[in-house]
Amino acid sequence: MGYQIPATSYEQDRALSTDYGLLSTQYSVLSTEQGLPALAPGQVAVLSGEPGLGMTRLGLVMLSGYTGGAVAYLDVRGWLSPIAAWEVGIDPDRLVIARCREVVRWGRAAAALLDGAAAVMAEVPAGAKDASIRKLASLARNRRTPLLLRPVDRAIPAGLAHLMLEAREITWTGTVDGHGRIEQRKTRIIASGKAMKGMTRTIEMEDDGSNALRVVSGVGAAETRSATG
Amino acid sequence: MWYPEWALRRPGAPQDEPGQAVGADGRVEAVNAAAYAAGIRRGMRRGEAEGICPLVATLERDHSAEMVAFEQVVAEVEALVPKVEIVEPGLIFVPVAGAIGYYGGEAPLVERVVKEIDRVTGDGYRIGLADGPFAAKHAAAGATVDTPVHIVEDDASFLASLDISAIGREEVVATFRWLGITTLGELARLPGSAIASRFGAVGLDAHRLASGRDRLPNPRELPVDLAVVERFSPPLEDLEQAAFVARGMASRLVEALASVGAAPFRIVVEAEAVDGTTRSRTWRSADPLDDRAIAERVRWQLRAWVDGVGVGIRGGLAALKIKPADLSGVGRQLSLGEDARAASETHRALAETQAIVGLDGLLQAHPQGGREPVDRVAWHRWGETPVRVRDPEAPWPGRVPGPSPALVPPDPQPFHIEWDGGMPVRVRLGSRWVTVRSWAGPWRRVGRWWKGEETGDQYQIVTSAGAFLCEIRSGQTWLVGIYD
Repeated sequence: MGYQIPATSYEQDRALSTDYGLLSTQYSVLSTEQGLPALAPGQVAVLSGEPGLGMTRLGLVMLSGYTGGAVAYLDVRGWLSPIAAWEVGIDPDRLVIARCREVVRWGRAAAALLDGAAAVMAEVPAGAKDASIRKLASLARNRRTPLLLRPVDRAIPAGLAHLMLEAREITWTGTVDGHGRIEQRKTRIIASGKAMKGMTRTIEMEDDGSNALRVVSGVGAAETRSATG
Repeated sequence: MWYPEWALRRPGAPQDEPGQAVGADGRVEAVNAAAYAAGIRRGMRRGEAEGICPLVATLERDHSAEMVAFEQVVAEVEALVPKVEIVEPGLIFVPVAGAIGYYGGEAPLVERVVKEIDRVTGDGYRIGLADGPFAAKHAAAGATVDTPVHIVEDDASFLASLDISAIGREEVVATFRWLGITTLGELARLPGSAIASRFGAVGLDAHRLASGRDRLPNPRELPVDLAVVERFSPPLEDLEQAAFVARGMASRLVEALASVGAAPFRIVVEAEAVDGTTRSRTWRSADPLDDRAIAERVRWQLRAWVDGVGVGIRGGLAALKIKPADLSGVGRQLSLGEDARAASETHRALAETQAIVGLDGLLQAHPQGGREPVDRVAWHRWGETPVRVRDPEAPWPGRVPGPSPALVPPDPQPFHIEWDGGMPVRVRLGSRWVTVRSWAGPWRRVGRWWKGEETGDQYQIVTSAGAFLCEIRSGQTWLVGIYD
C-alpha cells in the first residue's frame, strides 16, 4: 500500500503541515504531510462521533504507532473486534483488551492500564464523572502515556484534550444496489485542540481496510480560527 | 516414562474410532491406534491430518484435565521412587540412581514399576532408562507396545544413530542437514568449539545433547533463597483464585531470577492445606520456564490435587510455595535494546488491571479460522496460553470480506430495517430513522444445518451514519457488526 498523494493536494497540505513529532512510519504520513499531529507521551486525544463513523478504527491506527510494549484498549461495551486492530497492523501479542462495564471500576482500570501500557485507548462510559476523566488525563501526563478517549454517549470535559477529532460524515464506496461489497470509506473529521495550534480544520480520511489510513484532503474548510483548549 | 496417548485418555475421547489431540499450535500431539493406522502422525498439522482421515475425532489438549487423571500415575510411581519430575501430563522423569541400589538393579526396579503401573493404567506406557533425560525420552519413544521398556546401556552410542531432528531445534536442524549432518552421532563427532562459533548457544546445546551430555545445572550459588511463598488468610477455596495468585508469584520468581541472570528448568510446587498437610510436586522442562509456563504448571498441579486422587487440599489452601531448581547456566540474556524494567512494569500494571476487572475481563486474542467476524477471534485470558480451535490459514470460502467491522457484538443485536420492494430503504439507529444510501447482499449463510444452525442472509447496509453488517434469520433482522 503506497501513499500516492496528488501533487496539488500534497503542495496544499505542505502549506498547512505542522512540525509535530511522528507516531510511526504509517502514521507519520498523516502527521507530517497531512496536518494530523501525533500525540507525544502523556498527551490526550478525544475521538468522538457516533458508532459507524470510523473513530474506533482511527483510534486503532493511532495505537498501532506506539511500539515498545503492549497497547491497551479499555472496552466498555465489549464490542471491540480485534480483527480490525490486526488489520491496521497491531500485533496480536501486543494488544490487551480490558472489558469493564461498571463505571465504578472503569476509572481504576484505566488508571492501572496507564501505568504499564505503551498507549491506552479507553471508551468512556456514559456514567463516568468529569472528575474521573480529568484525573485520568492528569495521570496520563504524569505517566507519560498517550491516552485516546472514545466517549460513548457523553461529552468529554473541555480543556483536557491536546487533540480533538470529531467524525462528522462518512461515505462508503463499493456497494451499489445489492452488488459489490464495502471497500473504501472517506470520513470527514473536524480536528481541533492545542495540537492543531488553536485552529479547527476539516480533514477527509480514506480507509480501505488495510493498515493504512490516507488523508486525501487536509485542507477542507477551516471552520474557525479561534484558539481552543 | 511416557504415555504417548495420554491426551486421549479422558472422557469423551474416541475409543475404537480414529482420534487425535491437537495442541495450541494446531499440530497433532497424540493419536490413537485407529488414527495411526489411518496414517496420522504426531507433529502433523491438524488440517493435514483431517485431510488424511476426514472422520478423525479431534480433541483440543486440556492439560489441566489430563493432569487430574495423571496425578494417580505420578503418585504410584512416587510411592516407589521419590522425586518424580513431571514434564507434562503423560510424561515423567524419574531419577533412579538411588532406587537401583535399593531394588537391586535396573531390571528389578523397572519390573516393580511396571507391575504397579499396569495395575493402575493398563498398557500404553513406554519406559526408557538411560543416564540422562534426553536419552531416556528417546529410548521411551523408541519402545513399542510389545516391548514397552528400553534400557540404554550407553547414552552416546544410543543417541548416535538418531536422526538429527531429534534435537528438536528447527532453527538449526535444516542447516545441519544442508551441511550433511543427518544424525546425532555425526553432530557429536564435530568439535564443540566449531559448533559454538558457527551456531552459538543453540548449536552448543544441540551438540551437548547429541553427545549424551544433558544440560548441566548451573553450579553458581545464588545469594539468597529465591523461592516465592504466599500465605492466605482466610485460606483460598477457589481454584481460580489460587491460579491467579500463582501467576503473580510466577512473575515475581522469574523477575528475581532474571536479576541474577538465571532461569529455572525445574520448579517445585508446594501447597499447604489448612490442616497442615503439605503436598509437593516437581515439574521439569527442556527449556527454561518463563512466568507463564510456571503459572500454568502450578494451576495444572493444583487442579490435579483438588480433583485427582488423594485427599485434595483439605480446608483450603493455606500457603503456596514455588521453588526454582536446576537453574540455567546461561541465564536470560536481554537482547540489545530490550527493556526488562518496562516489561516488568507492564506486567505489573496488567496484573493490577486484571485484579480490578476480573480474570475474564482482561483478554488477548489471536486469529483463528472462521467465516463470521465473531468466529475468527480466539480469545484467551491475559497471561494464559492462546488456544486456536480452527486453522486461520485454511481457505474459509464465504468469509466476510475485509475491511472488517471494528465493533462486533458478542451476540447479534436486534436491528430494524424498513424494506420497499425487497430493497432496504431506512434503518433505525436508536430513536431515529436513517436513509440507506447503498447496500450489498444478500449472501446466504447456510451454517451447520446438521447442528441445528439456522440459515440466514447477510447484508452490508450503508447509511450516512455509518455502515452495518446485518443478518436476517427467520424473519428477524440482527446487527452482526458495525464498520466503525
